[in-house]
Amino acid sequence: MIPLAHYLILSGILFSIGLAGVLIRKNIVVVFMCLEMMLSAANVALVAFSRAQGTQGIPVYDAQVLSLFITAIAAAEVAIGLALIVAMFRSRRSVESTALNTLKD
Amino acid sequence: MNIESTISATYNWCQFTPAFALVGLAALLLMADTFLPKVPKRLYAFIGAAGAFLAAYFMAKAPHFNTFGFLACFSTGLCLLLAFDYKAISCASIGGEGNEEGTGEFYALPLVACAGILCLTQAKDLIMLFVSLEVITLTSYVLTGYFRRNQGSIEAGIKYLVLGALSTGLLVFGAAWYFGMSGSFSLDTDVIASALRGGVAGTATVAVGFLMAVALLFAGAFFKVGAAPMHVWIPDVYQGAPTPTTAWLAVASKTAGFAMLCALVVPFVPLAIPGTNLGNIFICTFSLVAAATLLIGNLGALRQNNAKRLLGYSSIGQAGFIMVFFLNLNGALEFLVSQYLLAYTLATVGAFYAIAMVRTQRGSEEIAAFRGLGKSNPRTAFLITVCMASLAGVPLTMGFLVKMYSFIALVGAVQYTSCLYWLLGIMIICAAAGFYYYFKMIRAMYWDKAQPEDKPLCVPVSTGIVLSLCTLALIILGTLPLLVSFQ
Repeated sequence: MIPLAHYLILSGILFSIGLAGVLIRKNIVVVFMCLEMMLSAANVALVAFSRAQGTQGIPVYDAQVLSLFITAIAAAEVAIGLALIVAMFRSRRSVESTALNTLKD
Repeated sequence: MNIESTISATYNWCQFTPAFALVGLAALLLMADTFLPKVPKRLYAFIGAAGAFLAAYFMAKAPHFNTFGFLACFSTGLCLLLAFDYKAISCASIGGEGNEEGTGEFYALPLVACAGILCLTQAKDLIMLFVSLEVITLTSYVLTGYFRRNQGSIEAGIKYLVLGALSTGLLVFGAAWYFGMSGSFSLDTDVIASALRGGVAGTATVAVGFLMAVALLFAGAFFKVGAAPMHVWIPDVYQGAPTPTTAWLAVASKTAGFAMLCALVVPFVPLAIPGTNLGNIFICTFSLVAAATLLIGNLGALRQNNAKRLLGYSSIGQAGFIMVFFLNLNGALEFLVSQYLLAYTLATVGAFYAIAMVRTQRGSEEIAAFRGLGKSNPRTAFLITVCMASLAGVPLTMGFLVKMYSFIALVGAVQYTSCLYWLLGIMIICAAAGFYYYFKMIRAMYWDKAQPEDKPLCVPVSTGIVLSLCTLALIILGTLPLLVSFQ
């Protein structure tokens, strides 16, 4: 049986990679992938916690319900995000975040 | 316990009736958009606004008055009316002039988002909170990037989406750890108290992990209200988004943010007593966030020339004044916050109606485009002046009263923690800065010479009505309390 800590470490690593990617990467498609990774990190943690909080081998399903909601919402978010990226590419011929320079102080 | 009884112990289906009604109306409008292509689209805005006002009316009559929900419905209605007034704004960049193809969603989506806010205000656990928050956020991404041929709109949409998804990531990670440490998603004082004691086993790591979870949850809420470390999206998104959407983000989405912050803070009120460890952490965090928000919002606004961007910074600054209420948890927190939000909503909606009017008729959102309105449209200029004066906090307007309550809340907090005097200084500086940048617009209207090609603005009917009513409400609500208390 794998202990809870291992799952949490995995989820922490996923979360950190995602956060670092969002902050560092310039390509917006990659930034989106990193954002999805952050949400997956939360899903891993939720499912692990749902097992750990359960008694007699029955997990607490609340956490798994939330992770289902997260998956659904992440999909909706990606749909909107890709639509925006396509619109951006049509008008600017680029998906780099450096091309986002119309609005500034 | 089975699922049915768990749900009905926490939620009552009746309390979601207005939300269901709004979603139903939005679905009807979407159907009409598809099957009745001949109907002018702006009619949908009118129907949507009527629906939102009706929802607000029924909520005001409900036995348990949901202040944030009422404010959200009310401001969504006003923003839809704004979209109704300015067809040119709403369909300019979709398919060129006169072509309304594919603009129907622009009027239906705010209703869905409003339903999301209504659910958010009633959330008692994190799942409800998260899902309704995402309903709001996802619709506002779409609304922000709606003008897909407009560079600014697309850019604002992408920036909002990346930063918004980042805050969602923080929020759900926080929710996961909240569940892991406390064993429940419920935002309940007992659950929180037990987790802070270290759970059943009483281990210190549980308490630390729980605090981390709560910090992440607050980060998500700070993003929505535009409080300091999470405010970076506001100026860009406000400037780039279509004007009705900007107005909606400034008022309804801000209301949602504060409803969420209240939902998160209220269970902590019995625990975060000043003097205790948790109370100190609370006061420390909120005073730093409030100070940073005030400074960034008000000082950043000083050098803005674009009216929408200026109102973006102004919304950060005003959020700073609202954050001060969270330092004094003994008062009627929700009442004070929603009162401030009402004053802010009335004045900001008025300002956005003015911006939309100037934008369509003079083709510019710069503050300079307001030049000479004092001569050519004296009545409209006066109404805009009152809105701006209320945002700045001039006495005899509601803006002054609520700002004063914010100062009173701080003085009340100082009684418990005497090291908060520095925040008073910052608040005074920021209130003074507000006079400078809000009066920029007033200066442009009365002191700047009109250009020869400037024609007087023709004021659309609903703009005139809404601006006058907002101004009237600001003045009445600003003076009436004085009269009552001096008798």
